[in-house]
Amino acid sequence: MNKRLFGAVTVGLSAALVMTACGSESPAGGEKAADGSVTLKMVAADYGDGPTAENSGEKFWKGVVDEFQAANPGIKVDVQVINWNDIDKQVATMVQNGQVPDILQTGDYSGFVKDGLLYKTDEVLSPQTSADMLEKFAEFGKVDGVGYGIPFVSSARALFYNKDLFDKAGIAEPPKTWDELKAAAEKLKAAGVSQPFGLPLGNEEAQAESFLWFMGNGGGYKDATGQWAIDSDANVETFTYLKGLVSDGLTTPNPGTKNRKDVWADFAAGKVGMVNGGPMSIPIFEKGGLKNFGVAPIAGKSGPLDTTLGVEDWIMAFNKNGRKEEIKKFFDFFYGGTAAQKISDTYKLLPVTKSGIEKLSSDEKLKPFLEALPNATFYPFQDPKWSEVNTQIKQTIGSAIDADPKAVLGAIQKVATAN
Amino acid sequence: MQQTLTPVRVMRALGPLAWIGPAIVLIGVVVVWPVVVMIQSSFLKISRFGVVQGTNGTDNYTKLFAEPDFSGVMVRSLVWVVAVVGITVVLSLGLAQLFNQRFPGRRFARWALIAPWAASVLMTAIIFKWMLDPEVGLINMILHKVGVLDALGGADADPLGNASTAMPWLVFVAVFVSLPFTTYALLAGLSAIPSDVYEAAKMDGASKMRTYWSITLPLLRPALTVAALINVMNVFNSFPIIWAMTHGQPGYSTATSTIFMYILKGSDIGESAAMSVVNFGMVIILTVIFLKVSKWRTEVR
Repeated sequence: MNKRLFGAVTVGLSAALVMTACGSESPAGGEKAADGSVTLKMVAADYGDGPTAENSGEKFWKGVVDEFQAANPGIKVDVQVINWNDIDKQVATMVQNGQVPDILQTGDYSGFVKDGLLYKTDEVLSPQTSADMLEKFAEFGKVDGVGYGIPFVSSARALFYNKDLFDKAGIAEPPKTWDELKAAAEKLKAAGVSQPFGLPLGNEEAQAESFLWFMGNGGGYKDATGQWAIDSDANVETFTYLKGLVSDGLTTPNPGTKNRKDVWADFAAGKVGMVNGGPMSIPIFEKGGLKNFGVAPIAGKSGPLDTTLGVEDWIMAFNKNGRKEEIKKFFDFFYGGTAAQKISDTYKLLPVTKSGIEKLSSDEKLKPFLEALPNATFYPFQDPKWSEVNTQIKQTIGSAIDADPKAVLGAIQKVATAN
Repeated sequence: MQQTLTPVRVMRALGPLAWIGPAIVLIGVVVVWPVVVMIQSSFLKISRFGVVQGTNGTDNYTKLFAEPDFSGVMVRSLVWVVAVVGITVVLSLGLAQLFNQRFPGRRFARWALIAPWAASVLMTAIIFKWMLDPEVGLINMILHKVGVLDALGGADADPLGNASTAMPWLVFVAVFVSLPFTTYALLAGLSAIPSDVYEAAKMDGASKMRTYWSITLPLLRPALTVAALINVMNVFNSFPIIWAMTHGQPGYSTATSTIFMYILKGSDIGESAAMSVVNFGMVIILTVIFLKVSKWRTEVR
């Protein structure tokens, strides 16, 4: 027994040694092997529920890579999937050690541009793939007019409503304007719904909920000239309207302390009439037992929004190992084939290409998101002040419901414009 | 007489160091060093990713003191400490007295008292948050059933949603988790009081109240001082209860200085370090005041 254990340990140790030896022989980018094949190293974030889950990133990428390698015999792709919490740190370590991957898929690209580590978009994307990208999304991948970040997947927001509760309250259609929204909320309240409108303005994602409401009144965090305009008249009016809803008991109570996660759970439990959500909330609602819900464009002051809040993730190519041609083939394969669609299906993420949107357009629940996507609005995340402003928004913007909106928004504006 | 420095003498003088050395190193690395770094950081300009961008003079402090919520946060921290520690000590005195009596099931009752101490504070706080959920909270459902609460899901069923009702609940939970330690510290103090002083008091015909006031409390003072002091520091730096239950929201209206410091860390690490230094100073000041007031050095007469 002991002998066997000893044997197993020895085998394990030597295997580990051999593997580390192999690892240190080949640099991260991969050399041309004896048979002339090239290995691309790719690092990707995990959109699934961890390495053991059915929807793990490893499984997803293995499927994509197997297909790609079958079609391109000379190129191998070695994918390392890292979870969202660690990916930034691990990639930073790789870059510091000079072990950069050839391809990286994660939430931000801008940090690598300054150091000249990335290929320009034109160098690694064929013209037809480039032309297929949603212009507005590709625009955010540019630094000083030159594209480095390639849009990978995106997400957007729309209004979810509980059809059963709407029937019970006698509401025929989802509201399109603020007045209709208030009227619908009043009917829901009269029908015994405790939270007619789910309004999460707590720290988890107050910046998203507020932004959606600002958009409904033509406002936002910045004005058309790119100046911070958090306490603009339009935004103050928006919060004054919300204040009215809250004081009439038509929303989640004390929205400044409520988080998206909890309000979505209440919606899934059938206690909330309407709530703003994204494609990623569909599985949450369905898991919670709510099947009969509809999705509509978000109501604005005088009409439904023709835009939405967009969030996008990126893929980028590092230039250190000079694998431009092979990377281009892989990207063309990814965006041109079924892979991009597969990622949308698996993770309820939205495509970033025109052809991808077309392929999904038959899905009734995704339709409002897809329609709003080409015209999406983004956080001003390229502004260096954004992270500080964002922290402040998350903590304090919800208190504009109890206090004077002008004062609360003014305090945030002050943070944004301070030196 | 002049002492000559022979190797033997030096060795003998250094001898104790071998025993206390490890402790000194440990204190130096774990306690002193972080304090030094904290004070240093409060004068630096540090990027959001932790990269030092050079010195910042006293700008971090200027910015901190100019925060519109700063004074409110500091006053709230003081009220928080005084309320939690005060209530805890008073209740613990009673509980310790109770558990010092012989009664059937005392062993069980003593065990039960440990429970809130054994559970993680964060877990306790989250459970209370759930019990106070406006839609499905257990406490709210009970209040609804007995008719105190008209409807679930509204603002009335949401005590954690605004500061005036959230603070008492936060204090309640903080007292709940502080009780076991304080009670046990006092219980130990009570059992250390020799029984002959009580007999003497009885012979002199002292009343129950008089005995408690003139004998029990003075003899309990060392235990009481230690228990209260540890509580003061603990409660001042308490983070998980408020963080889990209200996140300091709405706005900063339920935030204490520790919460404020943590939120600042998300936007400005230098300013957050300045808040830590202020916090550290406050704990020291509170401790000194407390020790002065409790006259811990003077002998019991």
